[in-house]
Amino acid sequence: MDLSRIIKRLVLTAFVFFGAATLNFFLPRFSGGDPIAERLAQLGDSGGTMSADALSAMIASYNERFGLDLPIWEQYLNYLWDMMRLDFGYSIAYFPTRVWTLIGQALPWTIGLMITTTLIAFLAGSFLGAFAVWRKNAMTGTLMPLMMVFAAVPFYLVGLLLIFFLGYQLRWFPTGGGFSPLVLPSWELDFAFNVLYHACLPAASIVLSSIGIWALAMRGMMVTVAGQDYMTFARARGLSDRRMFFSYGIRNAILPQVTTLGLALGQVVTGAILVEIVFSYPGLGNLLLQAVRGADYFTVYGIVMILVLTICFVTLVLDLIYPLLDPRVRQGAP
Amino acid sequence: MAPLLKVRDLSVSFVTDTHKINAVRDVNFDIAPGEKLGFVGESGSGKTTTALALMGLVPNPGRVTNGVAKMGDLDLLGLSRDEIKAERLRTISYIPQGAMNSLNPVQKVRDSVLDGMEDHGVRMGRGERRAVVSELMEKAGLPRDASARYPHELSGGMKQRACIAVAIALKPRLLIADEPTSALDVITQRRVMQTLDRVQGELGSGLILIGHDMGLMAQFVDRLVVMREGRIVEVGSTRQVFKSPRAAYTRELITSVPAMPVRRPALQVCAGDRPGHVEDDDTLLSLENASKTYQRGIFKKDVVALKPVSLRFSRSNPKIIAMVGQSGSGKSACGNLMLGFQKPTTGRIMFGGRDVATMKRREKTDFRRQVQAVFQDPYASFNPFYTIDHAFTVPLRRFGVAANRAEAYDIMAHSLQRVGLEPGATFGSHAHQLSGGQRQRIMVARAVALRPKLIVADEPVSMVDASLRATILENIRQLRDDFGISVFYITHDLATAYRSSDGVIVLRRGRVVEAGLPDEVICDPKHPYTVQLVESIPSPDPDQAWARVREPQEARSGEDADTFSQAVIRSRIPGFSIRSGTAA
Repeated sequence: MDLSRIIKRLVLTAFVFFGAATLNFFLPRFSGGDPIAERLAQLGDSGGTMSADALSAMIASYNERFGLDLPIWEQYLNYLWDMMRLDFGYSIAYFPTRVWTLIGQALPWTIGLMITTTLIAFLAGSFLGAFAVWRKNAMTGTLMPLMMVFAAVPFYLVGLLLIFFLGYQLRWFPTGGGFSPLVLPSWELDFAFNVLYHACLPAASIVLSSIGIWALAMRGMMVTVAGQDYMTFARARGLSDRRMFFSYGIRNAILPQVTTLGLALGQVVTGAILVEIVFSYPGLGNLLLQAVRGADYFTVYGIVMILVLTICFVTLVLDLIYPLLDPRVRQGAP
Repeated sequence: MAPLLKVRDLSVSFVTDTHKINAVRDVNFDIAPGEKLGFVGESGSGKTTTALALMGLVPNPGRVTNGVAKMGDLDLLGLSRDEIKAERLRTISYIPQGAMNSLNPVQKVRDSVLDGMEDHGVRMGRGERRAVVSELMEKAGLPRDASARYPHELSGGMKQRACIAVAIALKPRLLIADEPTSALDVITQRRVMQTLDRVQGELGSGLILIGHDMGLMAQFVDRLVVMREGRIVEVGSTRQVFKSPRAAYTRELITSVPAMPVRRPALQVCAGDRPGHVEDDDTLLSLENASKTYQRGIFKKDVVALKPVSLRFSRSNPKIIAMVGQSGSGKSACGNLMLGFQKPTTGRIMFGGRDVATMKRREKTDFRRQVQAVFQDPYASFNPFYTIDHAFTVPLRRFGVAANRAEAYDIMAHSLQRVGLEPGATFGSHAHQLSGGQRQRIMVARAVALRPKLIVADEPVSMVDASLRATILENIRQLRDDFGISVFYITHDLATAYRSSDGVIVLRRGRVVEAGLPDEVICDPKHPYTVQLVESIPSPDPDQAWARVREPQEARSGEDADTFSQAVIRSRIPGFSIRSGTAA
């Protein structure tokens, strides 16, 4: 791939990030809320006695502490500089914990659960969809409609059903949490199994609800590919079924799926929110919910920026990888 | 000599719940080792199905219902699925129409060559593989580095050669070539067929050539099988079939080929630059030093599609002007400029005394009505969602030709009749319910309904059967006479250009190399490229030898370069003028 394309793509990514950061900065400020005052008012309410003077003094000192007393353009420049270093400042709710610390704790859970399940759903769904075209039999004949049903049900509903039957009634799986409250996080095998055990239901709900979409899309592409001239020629050469299925069929049909995968991975964190809430999973989704509830704006900004970054990063990676998968886009094919 | 393949009583049927179609009925033929056997017939005659049956490749719901196909002791039709699969490529090999996408687009040519060998149990080391690939590339007439390229990086002719290389990897005893060159221009076709001939000779294998081009058959095969509606109507040596056809259908096929005239000196002796002349106030549409260059970004070289050319159509003296040339010669770019679809890079397109590029909205609408297009692909030219009526009424209403629905239907009915279609049977149908020929005639009727002054027809008949071509071209000729419509006919087919046009322009790499009356340009070509083009056309007369294509005559010295790039403008074409920008 030529260098200009990579550079163009990188510049575009930088612009998207800049734009998102700017919006992230100005939108809350136009909305007119004052996070510090709100936070202190909350504290004051719960704490009981506090004079109005003391409160405004505290607000002023906090404003200074967070740099909110500076002119807006200076705040903006500071903010951009912070964003460039991915410094999201301090959480207001958990002061003096840094936002990065909170995100750092939550991110591995989300990435571990969501990316893995998205990839599993992508691979399994694509394979099943392709297979349903390749071997038309009773098994694939019933599998496809079933998967379409699951695709139509939102995943939090699937999740609730799984919790009710497998978790609550049969008690095969825990109903929530990232690991048992009784074990301590450590790099032991036991703990890893515990985590996996807890991830089963949320993972199942995501995979079940999204696998059908992948399968359907893949089936459509595979039908198209099966009708191509190169398939006819492959058959006329007596190529092995295995080669025709993988190197000719799936290899070509998967290309548009990869584009969709990029979009799906970009949506991972957004998608995580509901699943994590349903399963009380300690990921970014849950953190975002708590931050919004607690008016913890800096944490919200941090999470939003992480969202933007993942989307930018994933689409960038895919854009760079795609030409490796499809030689036709490498140098502006005819 | 014992026949290589002996086919007896082969029948293939396509059975659905409601229909049973007998695609191939009791077909018998033999083929000797080293023999070239041609299968001709129009689409749907069963020629391809016969070949597919030999390889066990009849698509569902088709079944071989009867017959044997003996290759030595082997009955091809009696083999199991896995057994016949093992014989493909090893014993019988199939050469598809490679200019389409017959090669896996995501793998290099060398991998397409090797994967077939590997799947037939050939185990090779790295060096051995490299040797095999480069030997096959050479045999197929490809440059050595072509094996490391992807299919999209090859030209149409090279893709076809790559398909040949893939197909002969295991030295099969029988080759089946299915319309291998029908998407290629004549010069490339000639070269590829030369290669196929040589390859087959080296292998000593039998060859079945499936096609509909009688000229190609006459020049290439030893014996000919004529098929119609699943039956063989005639078998014989090529000479006998062409010289004294027994079946009426065979005669029909032979006469439907627009025969190329025998080469003879032109009536007028002509030399030098003698452009025709069209008065300014009689000009319908003109290109004034118009050229087209496609820019491909900062990092890639620009592509010059059309070098500066000037031409004029007369308003009072409508003519059919044919533009011929190989694919990529810039014919379509020229057509698109005339239609105003693209802006010229230099020069101007004038219509009715105004520059098309700067026309106002209303003028542009009028221009769009007066200059109509007919495209190549009758399948892709219609929106499958709407009925045929929609394709007519929308432009009729939009251009204000018809004031209301009833009037629109009147005009529709009239123009459908003009092209020989029954309006009642055509109204209300969707494009997929009609045959390719019907669709293409509807495209012509649709263009005519708008009462244009000029029709730009880009390969309007290349996708319809030979027998229909003549009819559609005759329709177009009548339009010129009855309605005074000028036609710009873009084609790679010199024979139809000769038959139907009043003037011929030959284009090579975006440059006009020769122009004049059809009798001059095609019967007595002066420019070396035109000579090459004319000689490459396979003649449907087996006695008239198909000239071997000389290697591309590229200019070496400066003087040669001049003669080769100098446009030869022949005598005046009434009602049309042309001047090549570079010649002037």
